[in-house]
Amino acid sequence: MKKSLTFVVLSLLVVALSVPAFAQDEETTLRWRTRPDNQAEIDVYSATSAAIDEAWDGVALEYEPGGSEGASYQDVLVTELEAGTAPDVFWIPGTDVARFAQAGLILNLADLAAADEDYSEEDFYAGPMGFLTTPVEEGTDALWGIPRDVSAFAIYYNADLFDEAGLDYPGGEDWNWDRFGEAAEEISGLGEEVVGFGMNAWWANWGYFVNATGSGFFNEDYTNCGLANEGTVEGLEFASSLFDNGYAVPWGNDSEPPFLAGNVGMFINGRWATPGTVANADFNWNVAPLPVGPSGEATNWLFWGAYVVNANTENPEAAWDLVTRLTSAEVQGEIASLGANIPSRATDAAIELFLGTLPDSGVDNQAFIDGTLASDVRTEAPLFAGNWPAIDSAYGAGVTAVFNGELSAQEFADTICTSVESEFAMGDMGE
Amino acid sequence: MTTMTNNGTSQEQSTGMPLIIPASLIWHILLAVLLGVLSYRIFTAEVFEVFGSPANLGRPVKNFSAAILLIPAFFGVISSALMLAHNGQGRYWALGINFAGAALTGFGLLGLWGVYGSFELLVDGVMANGRLTMGFPIAYLLFWLAGRLFQNENNTIRSTMEMIALGLAGITLMALLLLSGILDGILHIVGTYGQLNVWLATIALIIFIVMTWRILYSGEYFNETPDQRIAWQGWFMLAPNIIGFALFFAGPLLLSFYLSFTDSQIGSANQGGPYIVNFQNYADILALQVKTTDDTEIFAQDTLDFGYVPLMEMNLGDSRVIIGAKDRVFWVSMRNTLFYCLLLLPLAIVPALGMSLILNSKLPGVQFFRAIYFLPSVAAVVGTALIWRWLYQPTEGFINFTIQRIAIFLGLADPNIEWLTNPSTVLISVVVLAAWQIVGYNTVLFLAGLQGIPNVLYEAAQIDGANRWQQFRNVTLPMLAPTTFFVLITTMVTGLQAFNEPYALFPSQPIPENATTAVYYMYRTGFAQGLFGYSSAIAWILFAVIFSLTLLQFRANSNEAYS
Repeated sequence: MKKSLTFVVLSLLVVALSVPAFAQDEETTLRWRTRPDNQAEIDVYSATSAAIDEAWDGVALEYEPGGSEGASYQDVLVTELEAGTAPDVFWIPGTDVARFAQAGLILNLADLAAADEDYSEEDFYAGPMGFLTTPVEEGTDALWGIPRDVSAFAIYYNADLFDEAGLDYPGGEDWNWDRFGEAAEEISGLGEEVVGFGMNAWWANWGYFVNATGSGFFNEDYTNCGLANEGTVEGLEFASSLFDNGYAVPWGNDSEPPFLAGNVGMFINGRWATPGTVANADFNWNVAPLPVGPSGEATNWLFWGAYVVNANTENPEAAWDLVTRLTSAEVQGEIASLGANIPSRATDAAIELFLGTLPDSGVDNQAFIDGTLASDVRTEAPLFAGNWPAIDSAYGAGVTAVFNGELSAQEFADTICTSVESEFAMGDMGE
Repeated sequence: MTTMTNNGTSQEQSTGMPLIIPASLIWHILLAVLLGVLSYRIFTAEVFEVFGSPANLGRPVKNFSAAILLIPAFFGVISSALMLAHNGQGRYWALGINFAGAALTGFGLLGLWGVYGSFELLVDGVMANGRLTMGFPIAYLLFWLAGRLFQNENNTIRSTMEMIALGLAGITLMALLLLSGILDGILHIVGTYGQLNVWLATIALIIFIVMTWRILYSGEYFNETPDQRIAWQGWFMLAPNIIGFALFFAGPLLLSFYLSFTDSQIGSANQGGPYIVNFQNYADILALQVKTTDDTEIFAQDTLDFGYVPLMEMNLGDSRVIIGAKDRVFWVSMRNTLFYCLLLLPLAIVPALGMSLILNSKLPGVQFFRAIYFLPSVAAVVGTALIWRWLYQPTEGFINFTIQRIAIFLGLADPNIEWLTNPSTVLISVVVLAAWQIVGYNTVLFLAGLQGIPNVLYEAAQIDGANRWQQFRNVTLPMLAPTTFFVLITTMVTGLQAFNEPYALFPSQPIPENATTAVYYMYRTGFAQGLFGYSSAIAWILFAVIFSLTLLQFRANSNEAYS
C-alpha cells in the first residue's frame, strides 16, 4: 500500500513539474473546413492554410478537408455543431445560411466587420451579400459570412456532335429555346445511344427552365411560393417535351458520364464541372451561355457558398481575421486557378484573373462570367421565412412527377404552392 | 490491517476493521458533497455544458442528470455506513459505485485529454507511414520460418530468429507510433494539466481505482464465501459490456424516446430549448384526413385543410375519396418499406435455400463456391452499390445490354428499362441489390441448418421409398423450420431497417421518393432538416411497426409443429 501511494504521489509530482513547460504555449488554434471536390482542391487549400499559418504570428491553423457533396458534408457538420466539435470557421452552401443563422449556429460578424477597415461589402457580388446581410431580428445589422466563390451554369456542348449534325455551335444572339430544341432533336437523331441534351436532377436544373419564362421559385420577398403561374407551366412543358421525345438523358440519371462518353450533345452544368471535363473528355467541346427563354432575358443562377464562423468559437476575432484572409484576392486567385471556381470578388481584377484560368483548354471562360452577370440572374437563395429542405423536397417530387408523366405541368403549377404553404408558414424548420 | 501472504497477494485480517472502511466513509462523504454541488450547479445552470460545449437537451434532461448524480452520492455514504456496521451488502454497493466511478471518470479523462478527437490524427499518421507496416509481416514471416525450419523449441538458432522477429515487430511498432506523432500526443496530454478539471478528474480516477482495489481485498473481513467471490468476479467480467450497453445503447435509446416528445432541432441547444411538445411529433407524422367530394374537377389539394397534402385518391361510386396527410413522405416511405420487405423476403430466402442445398452436396470445389457466395455479404455496400449503379445504367449498363440482346434475338422491342429513375422500377432495383447482399449470409445459415439434420432421417425416408422431392418436402423443410424462421425474422427486420442500399445507390440527395425508405426518411429529417425530435418520433413509430410484425411472426410460428 505504501509503495503504491508513493508511486501515485511521485507520478503526480512529475506531471505537475512538467506542466509549466507546456503551459507557456499560448498560441491560438483555429480549425477550418471546406467542401472540396477533389484532391487537387484539397492540396490547394492545404497549401493556402500552411501559407496563412506561416505568415500569422500567434495563430496556428488546422485545415480539415470535409467530405464531398456525396459524402454528406452538411450532415457531418450538423452533427458536429450539435456535439460542439465543429471547426471555428467552415464553408456552407448559400441555401444553408438562413437556417444556420436562425438556429444560432453561426456568428453574426457585423460588429467585427464594422471594426475592420480593410473589409468592404462592395467588393463582393451583390446577390450573395444581400442574403448574407439579412438580419434574423429586424432592426439589427447582420453579416453571416463572406462568400468563398460563386458559380453559374453554362451549356457544355460536344462540338463533334454539332459538326456531325451540321449545326452551328450554341451561342450568339439567336441562341434561344427554338434553336436549343432543334439542336437537341437533330443530335438525338445521330445514333441510338446519342441524345441531344442532359441535366442532373436537382433544383437548379429544372429551375432554369422555370426562371427563363419569367416565373420563379419564390415571391419577391422570398416569403412564399412563386410557381403558381403560366410561366411555370410553359417552362416545365418545354423541359418535359425533351424527355418525352427522347431528346434528353432520362430525368434522374447522372448526365455527366454519358456526356463525357461523347453521347450527349448539350449538358447543363456549373463551372465546377470544367476541370473534370478538361481531364476526361476526349472529344472537342466547349461551353456557351444558357439559351434565352420566352422571357427574352438571359437567365442564369448565381451559385455561392460562404465561409462562416462557428457561434461557439472561442476566438471570434481570430476567426473573422481568418475569413477575411481566406477571401482575400490573393487566395481567391490561387483557388480560381484550379478552374473550378469563380472568385466571389466582383472586381475587374478578379474577373480578369478568372478569364485567364485554364488557358490551354480553350474553354470559353467568358460564358460563365456572362452567366454571373446575366440580366435575369437569380441568386441561390437561403430562405429566412421557410423550410428550404422541405420545400426543395416537395418541389422536386412534383417536378419529377411531371417529367415522369404522372402529373401535368398545369396540375403542378395549380397545386404546388398550396402544398408547400405550411412550410413557409412554419418559418424556420417547423417552429 | 493488511498483511502480505507469502505468494505476494494481500489479504485482510478478519479480526480488525480494514483501514479502507473508515477511509471509504470519508471519501464517500466528500464524493457526496462534490456530487451534490455538481447536481445543484446542473440544476440551476442556464446552459448545460459537457466538456465546455453546450449540451442542452431541455429542462427534463438537466433535471434528470442533476438527480441521477445524487444516487451515487446517497448510496456511497450508506454503503460506508453499512460497512462500518460489518454488513457485507455495503461492500458490494461501495464496489459498484467506485468501479462505475472509475470507468466513467476514465472515459471523461480521456475526453479531457482530447484522445477521442486524436484517433483520426493517429490513423492519418499511420497511413502516411504505411510502408513501415511491412515490418510486421516480415517479422511474422521470420517467426513462422523459425518454427518451420527448427522443430526443436530449444534450438538456439530458432530462439535467436524468434527474438529478432519479435524485436523487429517491436521496433516497427515504436517507429510507426513515433512517426505518427505519438510523442506530440503525449506532450498534448501533459499540456492539458494546465486545466483544473484535468487535475480533478485524474485525482478522482486514482481515488476510485484505489478504493475499488482496496475494497475488493476486504472480503475476508466480511466473511465472504467463495460463491460470493465468484459472483462479484462475474459482475466484473460483465461490467465492460454493461457499461457499454448503458452508455452507447440504453442511454441513447432513452434519450431518443425523450427527444421524440420535444421540439429538438438543430441549434436548439444554443437557444434554451428543446421544449416538451407532448405527442405533437407523433400527431404530425401520423395525421391523416379523409375528404369526399362529388366534384370531379376540383384539385385534391383544394379539398384538404391547411397543412395537409394529398396522399391517395380513389373513387367510390360517384364520390371521390381523398386521403390527405400532414407528412405525406412518411406514409410514402412506410409504403415503400413494407413493399421493400415483401419483395426482399422471397428474393433473399428462396435462392439462399436453393444455393444451400447445392452447397451442402459433395460436389468438387464446393468449399470455394461457399466462400464466393458469401462474398457479397462481407463487401461494403458503398462499393457494391457503385457497381450496381453501373450495371443499372440504362444506356451503358450490362443489365440493359443483356436485355437488349435477348429482345433482339426474340424479335421484340428493346424495353430500355430506366432502372434507377423510373418510379415503378426504382424500388425493385434497390431490393435486388439488397437481396444479392443478403443471400450469401442466409445461405450460410441454411447450410448450418442442413448440416444439423441427422442422416438417418434421409435413410429412413429412402427405405420408405421417398424420392428426392419427397425427402426435401417431408424431411428437409420441416427440419429446417427453426432456421427458416430465424432467417425470415432477420431478413424481415433487415428489410424494415433498409437504409444503406438506397443511400449508397443514388449519388444525389435526396433520393427518389419511390426509393425513400422509412429509415432513410428518418435520417433525412434528422440530419438534412435538423429536426431531431421529429426524427426520433419516426424512429419510435418504426420500432413499434417492427416490434409488432416480429411479434406476429412469433405468434404465428408458435402454432407450427416444428417451432
